[in-house]
Amino acid sequence: MLGKEDIHILKGINLDIEQGEMVALLGPSGSGKSTFLNVLGGLVPPTSGEIKIRDYLISEMTENELCLFRREHLGFIFQSYNLISTMTAMENVALALTFAGVKKEIRRERAKEALEVVGLVDRMGHKPSELSGGQQQRVSIARALVNHPEIILADEPTGNLDSKTSADIMEMITRLNREENQTFVIVTHDPDTTKYCTKVIHMQDGLIERSVNQ
Amino acid sequence: MNKQELLRLSWENLWRMKFRTILTIIGVVIGTSSIIVMVSIGNGAQKSITDELSGVGSVTTLQVYQDLSSMGMSAVSGGKQKDKVILNDDAIKDMKKIDGVVAVTPVVSLNGGEIELNRDQYGVSLMGIDYGVLKDMRYETTSGKKPGANDDNSVILGKEALTSFTLTGISAQPEASTINMEDLIGQNVNLIVKRTNAAGEEEIRSQKLKVAGILESTGGNEDYSIIADYQLVTELNEWQTGVKSNVKKNGYAEALATVEDSSVVNSVTSEIEAMKFTVFSMQQILDSMGSVFQMLQILLGGIGGVALLVACIGIVNTMTMSIYERTKEIGIMKVIGASISDIRNMFITESTMIGLIGGIVGIIISIALSLLINLIAGFFIGGEGSVTISYITPGLVIFALVFSALVGMLSGVRPAIKAANLSSLDAIRSE
Repeated sequence: MLGKEDIHILKGINLDIEQGEMVALLGPSGSGKSTFLNVLGGLVPPTSGEIKIRDYLISEMTENELCLFRREHLGFIFQSYNLISTMTAMENVALALTFAGVKKEIRRERAKEALEVVGLVDRMGHKPSELSGGQQQRVSIARALVNHPEIILADEPTGNLDSKTSADIMEMITRLNREENQTFVIVTHDPDTTKYCTKVIHMQDGLIERSVNQ
Repeated sequence: MNKQELLRLSWENLWRMKFRTILTIIGVVIGTSSIIVMVSIGNGAQKSITDELSGVGSVTTLQVYQDLSSMGMSAVSGGKQKDKVILNDDAIKDMKKIDGVVAVTPVVSLNGGEIELNRDQYGVSLMGIDYGVLKDMRYETTSGKKPGANDDNSVILGKEALTSFTLTGISAQPEASTINMEDLIGQNVNLIVKRTNAAGEEEIRSQKLKVAGILESTGGNEDYSIIADYQLVTELNEWQTGVKSNVKKNGYAEALATVEDSSVVNSVTSEIEAMKFTVFSMQQILDSMGSVFQMLQILLGGIGGVALLVACIGIVNTMTMSIYERTKEIGIMKVIGASISDIRNMFITESTMIGLIGGIVGIIISIALSLLINLIAGFFIGGEGSVTISYITPGLVIFALVFSALVGMLSGVRPAIKAANLSSLDAIRSE
């Protein structure tokens, strides 16, 4: 998919995820779990097949429609945080609202709310380089939350964090999932992470090996 | 994303790379100011020459000739050569009837006259015109007054009539005039005209002339002549050549028609040309010079344009570099909801800002340079008042501003499209 030759990374996945679920995609590296997440988020178009979120057919959308869709319905959390280094925590969180055309005062207010949720209001004037890894990941979670999306896609959210911070982050995600009824799809290779989830999908070689509800 | 946010975000992005942005802007500044200064020099040359030529009188005065080729002026001929039309008193009367014509006078000239003042001899030429219509002509005196219709022996001195070099009787050295012409007003001067008679002897005729005034500069031949009544000049001419003039048959060599204002110059010109005379006016020279100066401006502007082209490449370079540096950031923005047009507009806005800032600074610098050029030129050329070498018109300023912004915008289009089309996933993965 990324090279010149088509390499089929995902080979036949049939999966339904319900609103409010917290799903872990677990598997060894190369199993296609990250690719699956990117396809879900419309970052990579599938060569065949359908992806439907609510009534939206993601697999048929144009690049621009996908941008607008992500703005309204999806939040992303990355392993490497992906914050803009020249902006403060507050600005990073508010940026998503900027593109949505939200007014400045409202933007600030909502960004502050989101930072409150992740417990970082006191650090909102700091740039990413002045924050610890855990704090940076919390800023990125706040950014994912600020639009109040129905679905949050997280790619190894705790991959760069120590176990103590990882646990904090996962607890926060669990809390959001419960309180806001937001759907989470979390890619991980860490079995510890999966214990916070309601459903664990084991992937292997581009296929779902098994799906476990817990 | 709304416009205000777009501007703010682009502005912040621009100043993140201060040094590089400033260097790029300097490129635009050099480009813009070289265009402005170059064109302003073209403008200045045009302005100073047109100002010089279009003195109040000269634009509204038409020179009428009956046969251009015999005047040795075929090179500047604007009209066609006609046969068998005579520029006599009847023709002058007809010209007076044309709409917009205020006065028509024949012109009779006499060359080779001399005036002796303070032991210096000045070679002078006389220009005889009809004193009956002098009051209606655009000849103004800077001091003294115009002679009336009957002041046959009064003359007006052209501004430069006595300042031309002349050979003194004793030494053979040319000398500049030391005469203050103002002092001559109201005085009589002696005009000496010489001829050689049939026996080969030199005869001298002396004619007393009363100086009535000094002529305001017209930029034409009048400045170097003494204006006198045409009947007097005709009489002197007849004496000098020994031939009785026959105006009825041969006509005058030249006539001057004064028109109401510059708007009727062209219509009067064509009517006189319809009478089969050749007309020569400052307007024609100005018209043809206009196109010469336009060429000059295009040429000079083109030289400046090359500098702006280089600046334009600089903007493309800066914006492209900026994309490589900000690839990850572009990816993040696309993932969190920036649309393709948001990204594209952001980059185009940045490059337009570079162009616009460069343009504004360029204009300021050009105005300063223009003042400096005129100051230095004034210092070297000297003379009274300010010298106009470089002249910046408001139109030029507006053009430069719009053009530099446009150049910035266009330079940003390709990089912007490139940025907008980056794959968000590839972009976000890049380091």
